[in-house]
Amino acid sequence: MSSVVALENLVVRLGNRTILDSLNGSLTGLCIGLLGPNGSGKSTLLNTLLGFYPPFGGTARIFGNDIRANIGRLRSMIGYMPESDAFIAEMTGIKFVRYMAEVSGLPAREAMERAHEAFFYVGLGEVRYRKVGTYSLGMKQLVKLAQALVHGPRLLLLDEPTNGLDPEARQRMLQLVHEIRDTRKVHIVISTHLLRDIEDCCDQVLILKNGRVAALCDLEEERKANRKFLELEINHGNGFVEAIGRLGCECASFAGGRLKIVLPENIAVRQLYQLAAEHTVQIRRMNYRRDSLEDIFLKAMEDKPEAREIASGSL
Amino acid sequence: MAVYKRSYKVYDGPLTPTGSRFLVLSRYSAASLFESRYFTVFTVLCLVPALIGAATIYFVHSATTQLLLGMRLSSTDLINNVWFWGFLQSQVWLAFVMTVWAVPGMMTRDLANHALQLYLSRPLSRPEYLLGKVSAVVLLLSAITWIPGLLLFGLQAQLEGHGWGSEHLWLIGAIFIGCLLWVTVIALMAMALSVWVKWRIAASGLMFAVFFVLPGLGEAANAILHTQWGRLLSVPYVMTLIWTHLFRLPDRFIHGFNYAGVPLWSAWASVLSVCLICIMLLNQRLRAREVERG
Repeated sequence: MSSVVALENLVVRLGNRTILDSLNGSLTGLCIGLLGPNGSGKSTLLNTLLGFYPPFGGTARIFGNDIRANIGRLRSMIGYMPESDAFIAEMTGIKFVRYMAEVSGLPAREAMERAHEAFFYVGLGEVRYRKVGTYSLGMKQLVKLAQALVHGPRLLLLDEPTNGLDPEARQRMLQLVHEIRDTRKVHIVISTHLLRDIEDCCDQVLILKNGRVAALCDLEEERKANRKFLELEINHGNGFVEAIGRLGCECASFAGGRLKIVLPENIAVRQLYQLAAEHTVQIRRMNYRRDSLEDIFLKAMEDKPEAREIASGSL
Repeated sequence: MAVYKRSYKVYDGPLTPTGSRFLVLSRYSAASLFESRYFTVFTVLCLVPALIGAATIYFVHSATTQLLLGMRLSSTDLINNVWFWGFLQSQVWLAFVMTVWAVPGMMTRDLANHALQLYLSRPLSRPEYLLGKVSAVVLLLSAITWIPGLLLFGLQAQLEGHGWGSEHLWLIGAIFIGCLLWVTVIALMAMALSVWVKWRIAASGLMFAVFFVLPGLGEAANAILHTQWGRLLSVPYVMTLIWTHLFRLPDRFIHGFNYAGVPLWSAWASVLSVCLICIMLLNQRLRAREVERG
């Protein structure tokens, strides 16, 4: 699959600080999530893709075009919804979106038509003649989405799209992202620190930590594999973990005596109890569950070698 | 809105030429100014001196009108370079008031709510953004300065005849360059100060401070240091010095208004420096994202 965004040793420095440090990876999904704690470099990566920050080293390619050389051309293919407030308060909603469409290169007539379509599409049709400054926070988020969509981009960059929204508005925003994704005419990159948003919408996730790639995971593949995990809580290890490995199970241990085990078809749960008895280990809790994005994220944040393995789908 | 249109569609229609896309900004910026009826009325009032000038030119050339009013005026004595300079003095100060009114609002509305990043995330560069805004201001100010000035020149040349136009051809350059220089300086300064403070009222206040307080400081420096160079801090002073030479004003004007204190080259250097400082300020502050150095 051809990559939507290819990162090639991308380094971004702002002042004397290195914000993005040698990022590598190929983002190919229809909807790509950018995850990471605050300050991990998510927004900086989006701003770099838009050409707001010049790469200090390496480069990035969007649809095969180098951002260093073709940023003007690339911007015409990109729709950007920033995290912070971004609007002209004195303009009516429809005029603002039409204006943005014209700046993107649409002729006046087409811009007006697309602005109306975008407003109805995001569900603000009834308030399009009100000044943007009078909109509620949820409406302002939607009008930002409308201006990002109005020129029909091939790549949509959404920076924290559900920030500050109430549950209903958040659901509406995620539903819109779903709908846009399902048209399969546009690729979406969502930057957020909310795992559920990513899990709901995305088929690929890039996890950043301290400006580095902590994990690059294909969620779609994970879902297809549909592997069931056993989550155990034990009182102490006492060789139990190694014994499980010898049994033929993949096992990962976490803090607090938590274990996650992938059970092969031929291994029964009873055998685990037998092993625990042999090693005088108490099994205090046992759950069946699928590997969630939260697990992947937490593992990536632990900065262990396993984090890299997740990227290749080995666990 | 038809239901079939309520879904996401990629746009594959025609696009406007990239080279002329900055004009969208000019159009919207100018249109937003004329949404205020006070501004529209003020713009019309700015053209009143031009109408009075046209009436004056007509009057001094109309023997019938002069006979009716019982007056006798000679057009060659009255309508000359000094008359055009005097006419433009009123226009350039009206242009200043218009700039202080229009430009800070035009710039700060994009900056107040971080809309600049939306422009710059589109196929529009920072110079193009600036060009779009500057062209709106320059066009507006031109409409009340050098354009009516040249129209009056044309009217005078037409009514006077006898080669007056060709004899005073240099006056076209003086009107055009003199006004354009003023328009460029005040437009750049207003934009730079607006981008710097990002607050309309503060930017307007700073414009007045630069034009009317800074000269006071310059004069204070002159008095303390017994020099004339402090006058270079006064934009109106250096501009008038340039105009007196462009319009070839008689010596009585230059000495009468004390414009012989500093050499002409220093006035040009001062204006050029102001423009460069404004461009540097715009380059530094007009960014989609501000970077905290550290």
